[in-house]
Amino acid sequence: MTAAIELNDVTFGYRPTEPVLRQVNVTVESGTFLAVAGPNGAGKSTLLNLLAGLHRPQSGTISIEGADVHSYHRQALARKLAIVRQEFVPAFGFSVTETVMMARTPYFGQLGFESQNDRRIVAEALDLTETTRFASRLLAELSGGERQRVFIARALAQETPILLLDEPTSFLDLKHQVGIYDLLRSIQRDKGTTIVAITHDINLAAQYCDLALLLRPCPGNAPGAAGKSRHYHIAPPSEVFTPKGIEEAFGVRVFSAPVGAVSVILPLGQMARDADRLGLHKDL
Amino acid sequence: MHRILSPRILLLRILAAALLLGLVMTACALVGTEHISLKAALAPADGAVAPNPDFEILVHVRIPRIILAAIVGAALAGAGVTFQAVLRNPLADPYILGISSGAGLGAMLAVISGVTWTLWGRSPIAVFAFAGALGTVWLVWMIGRVTGKFHVTGLLLAGVVVNACFSAVIMFLTSIARSQEVHATIFWLMGNMTEEDFFVLWAGAGAVTAGLVALYFISPQLNVISFGQADAQSMGIDVKKTQLVAFALSAFITAVAVSLSGLIGFVGLIVPHAVRLLLGPDHRQLLPLSSLLGAMFLVLADTIARVAIAPAQLPVGVITAMVGGPFFLVLLVRFNRKVYWLK
Amino acid sequence: MRKWWLLLVALAMWNLLGYALAVSHSDDSSQTAPVGSTTARIVSVAPNLTEILYALGLEEAVVGVTAGSDYPPSALDKPKVGTFWQPNIEAIIALRPSLVVTLGFAQQKSLVHRLERMGYPCLTIDIWTVDDLLAAIDTLGKATASEQQAGHLIDGFRVRTRQLEEALKNRQRPRVLWVVQREPLRVAGRDTFINELVELAGGENALGPTLHKYPPIGAEQVIASSPQVIIEPTMVEGDPDRQRQQALAYWDRYANIPAVVDRRIHIIDGDIVSRLGPRLSEGIETIAHCLHPDVLGD
Repeated sequence: MTAAIELNDVTFGYRPTEPVLRQVNVTVESGTFLAVAGPNGAGKSTLLNLLAGLHRPQSGTISIEGADVHSYHRQALARKLAIVRQEFVPAFGFSVTETVMMARTPYFGQLGFESQNDRRIVAEALDLTETTRFASRLLAELSGGERQRVFIARALAQETPILLLDEPTSFLDLKHQVGIYDLLRSIQRDKGTTIVAITHDINLAAQYCDLALLLRPCPGNAPGAAGKSRHYHIAPPSEVFTPKGIEEAFGVRVFSAPVGAVSVILPLGQMARDADRLGLHKDL
Repeated sequence: MHRILSPRILLLRILAAALLLGLVMTACALVGTEHISLKAALAPADGAVAPNPDFEILVHVRIPRIILAAIVGAALAGAGVTFQAVLRNPLADPYILGISSGAGLGAMLAVISGVTWTLWGRSPIAVFAFAGALGTVWLVWMIGRVTGKFHVTGLLLAGVVVNACFSAVIMFLTSIARSQEVHATIFWLMGNMTEEDFFVLWAGAGAVTAGLVALYFISPQLNVISFGQADAQSMGIDVKKTQLVAFALSAFITAVAVSLSGLIGFVGLIVPHAVRLLLGPDHRQLLPLSSLLGAMFLVLADTIARVAIAPAQLPVGVITAMVGGPFFLVLLVRFNRKVYWLK
Repeated sequence: MRKWWLLLVALAMWNLLGYALAVSHSDDSSQTAPVGSTTARIVSVAPNLTEILYALGLEEAVVGVTAGSDYPPSALDKPKVGTFWQPNIEAIIALRPSLVVTLGFAQQKSLVHRLERMGYPCLTIDIWTVDDLLAAIDTLGKATASEQQAGHLIDGFRVRTRQLEEALKNRQRPRVLWVVQREPLRVAGRDTFINELVELAGGENALGPTLHKYPPIGAEQVIASSPQVIIEPTMVEGDPDRQRQQALAYWDRYANIPAVVDRRIHIIDGDIVSRLGPRLSEGIETIAHCLHPDVLGD
């Protein structure tokens, strides 16, 4: 069975001499929930953009369901991949239904209107994200968490096997953060969707994802640096989100406590109240 | 109020607006500095004895002028809607990408070079202005390409730069040209509605209508693009192609409008906002209704311009500015209630 | 894709249809407005044309003038057809003219174009120089069947200018600065009809040839040109003495130029020298009076 997403030896940098991602080899099987984490500038958003076909890697290939992402015609790719980006204030005041319906635009009829099928798909998406009650409200009238669900609904309306999300829970309060993760998990379960989500929230992600990808900033370009250590680590979260792993990747001291197979990680600085008392791991 | 648009509702609204436009045009045909009576105008011409001035004025002066105002108003409003959508900027108007200075430069060059040939009876000023307008958009587009990725900001900046350069050239030409030529150009550019001959109106109406229909074809994509390019891309919209088509069509109909009547401001800026306030941002509706409303607006403005300070005539741009200015202020005050802009 | 092609085809057919209609109509259209052949009804679109028409004895025939046609005073009572810069085509049509007379300015040419398209006879006359004026009087005379009066006018004009020429023979020509506008300072150059008047009046332009007809000039040029007489035509109604005081006060800053030293600064009625019309000979004589005050008796 072809993997949903495959990165084969991918190297990419915005400037050819400064790669952001170097020789990355990642395989994501269909139906997997992958969380992507790492410090700022490690290349998480870049990775997402590469998956979406927005950049071309300097070397290596990116395959979506067995075919090179750049071999897909734009609309065909839109049937494979849907992206939910970071939230922003929408322009010009559309309603929730109109917003979700936009995902169906490539399928509109000759006169530019949706079909019965499109309406059904949109209704389902709203239902799955529990946003049906907002259907006629203006997008900008909703709270951040509700709006995020609407954007997820829009992505769902694309009816794709793969869903990419860029920090879907930033700007959301705790309740909504949990709500989003629950939603993603149920989408994965009900539709078999492959989910790749960039997250800053390691602890929450660890409770929901099947695989975690921890990216570190690409090591320098000094000769001999290539081929040394990989700058990323992909494995189940219990192997990736370890206190040591986090400390190395982010360069912070952490306090941790086990929760099931995973540890809860709490980064602390010197000024933190309980820094001494909690005895941070010291082998850095 | 936020029922999603259906084909039937859209059709009804378009028909209603068209009907209203027809009424307005008819009413305005009966208004002017000379009092004419419809009965006298329609009285059968008895042989070739005496000319019927009522008929002449109605049919050969007013109606062509009103039709012209409708064509230009529709074109400017439609182009305004499109530029606002593609550039994601509520302050965009049809002239934003340098069309105004391009047309002005074209007009000046026509006057100064003393060219006298006519193209299908259109004066060289009109033809040069048309070419200048299109050429400028092409130039701005090219600059946008060079700066890469068609970022909206890049295009806007390119437009500003081109506008500035061309305005400087215009000023230079103005200072060395003979005063009469300059006056003629400026007068033309200020916006003038004079009746044109039959084929010009016919072809102009056809061109603008075709352009607006074509823009309607891409209005679902415009809806998505107004959310953002990256989003639109990932939803399967060919953003580059849509942008290109939108710019080309809008520039074309604006150039047609400018070549017909000079530069008339505010229509392309205000009318889209007014319709958006009333009916929402769906471009499938916004485009046709803004065009119809733009036509109505300009017909009314032109009628006022014709009679306000008779026997002289105000340039129609004065009326559109006088109405447009305060309206825009009201818009700014109210905008955060209904319409949301990108930060 | 199909709908785009359909649109293109529809547009092409629309244009063809329009072209066909236009061609089929152009055969019978152009003679819509027949001339009311019995009585002449003339509309004048410029004040100087109005003056000429009146001078040709056509007061009765003139049925409409533009605002600004203020001479002779009776012209003020005629129906108005807009302004010189913006003639009102509706008003013109409503007067059922048999002839519309215009100058050669752009707006008026466009007016002519529109009127002729509707079948109204028009006459465009370019008057840029004094000779143009005489030719214009001749043309108008022929167009309105008043050649005799035209001849009289032209002869009268020529006689007066010849008399003046005689009186001014062998006199030295003073250098004249003709000030059109004081702030910013703008003068009449050599390539203007004003210059012609000055020369006919026995003077010469203090400035050499300039790029513009009415160039703005700076203090340096004023001093360098060393004008002996300064003439300022005024369009404003007002107390002539007061205007002269103001002028003198302005020019005092150029204390060393001959015109200021000799106090030869003249304010004259702008109308008679700015309008290329029948009163021009009067204007020339007025100028001559400023330049050569001892030449009287004209």
